[in-house]
Amino acid sequence: MTFSPLVDRLLDALRVLPGVGPKTAQRMAMHLLERDREGGQHLARVLEEALAHVGYCQQCRNLTEHPLCAICESSRRDDSQLCVVESPADLLAIEEAGGFRGRYFVLHGHLSPLDGIGPGDLGLEQLEQQVNAGMVEEIVLATNPTVEGEATAHYVAEQLRGYGVRLSRLAYGVPMGGELEYVDGGTLSRAFVGRQPFSE
Amino acid sequence: MQPHPAYLLHRRPYRETSALVDVITLEHGRLRAVARGIMRPGSRSRGRLQPFTPLHLTWSGEGELKTLKVMESHGPGAMLAGEGLLCGFYANELMIRCLPVELPVKEVFAVYSSLLEALPLPAMRAPALRRFEVTLLEALDAEPVFVTENDTPLEMHTQYVYRGDMRRFRPALAQEQGIDGRTLKLLARGDWESPGLARVAKQLTRIALQPLLGNQTLRSRELMHELAVRRQKAPS
Repeated sequence: MTFSPLVDRLLDALRVLPGVGPKTAQRMAMHLLERDREGGQHLARVLEEALAHVGYCQQCRNLTEHPLCAICESSRRDDSQLCVVESPADLLAIEEAGGFRGRYFVLHGHLSPLDGIGPGDLGLEQLEQQVNAGMVEEIVLATNPTVEGEATAHYVAEQLRGYGVRLSRLAYGVPMGGELEYVDGGTLSRAFVGRQPFSE
Repeated sequence: MQPHPAYLLHRRPYRETSALVDVITLEHGRLRAVARGIMRPGSRSRGRLQPFTPLHLTWSGEGELKTLKVMESHGPGAMLAGEGLLCGFYANELMIRCLPVELPVKEVFAVYSSLLEALPLPAMRAPALRRFEVTLLEALDAEPVFVTENDTPLEMHTQYVYRGDMRRFRPALAQEQGIDGRTLKLLARGDWESPGLARVAKQLTRIALQPLLGNQTLRSRELMHELAVRRQKAPS
């Protein structure tokens, strides 16, 4: 059964969101139309504004509606460390984990030759210019521990090799609070290869 | 169905929590399949279903697109990094582009497994890649035939040029860079991996693969080339 063309369009439109199928779309639409029209209007306004104004930070390519994002604007961050991540979600995860006080560079993807994603799609020229400017002493390659993430780290490392910056890569390890028995073989063997001297 | 030895060649997201995969299997050749639910947070199959890791798979479906059922890793994968990793991408891209689905290619599977073992070792890389390329060409009936266009034997001291379209050799023209008959006779004997012939072997497999690839370039090869150019330009 269908309600009306406009309601159907709303149901279809809601399904662009991840995790939203026909049933969830219907629940969302009913909620907005029946119980929270004000909330729905607010959502529509904010959504329109965000889509119109949010772009990439000119320096680190994080999402922001300003020319520079809050991290790049901040004078309390360490200019000598630059962490390269695949997505804004990865940046957020590292920020929430705490401990890193340097700056970031967001690639918005990874090298994947089989999908036709090459270095030109990842803003690597811009990264090189920043390193060339001379403030950065260490680049932390925090791309995902997948084959594509590894290939991306390799490419970035090769690209920046001549600039005299220190390059580091996130370590592979067993998860905190995990049990070795349940850790997958690949992670475990890499954790073994990358084992650290034991110091108390 | 018994689990079949296999390797993942490529995986791309499909719907919200599934992935479309290309795999190479020992007995059934290359397959395309859906791996349902592997992108769900906490899915244990996601970590296992990585390229270059030996897998045991079962699947269902009669059509061209199968559905993966059992996905188990079977021993640790090759630890590929850097250039070895890019060569691994190259081998995977070649198989995806050249192998028709469900053509059984047992020899290619076997040579691919030994290629993965060789890739972490820089000195072994080129010979293992040549062996893989030649095995792939043979499986597809596209390897060079070491005779002239008229099916006459090659002369030791004549320079030849390979004609990919005919899979045979023609004498090089005066100004043309050719390969001498003596070298070609060594390759005909199967000496693809000999260090002295590395350059010629690479050149020849590249031309021989071209008809199988059509007009589109290999992206992994482009990436390796870009990296090499960059390395030359890099400030020191």
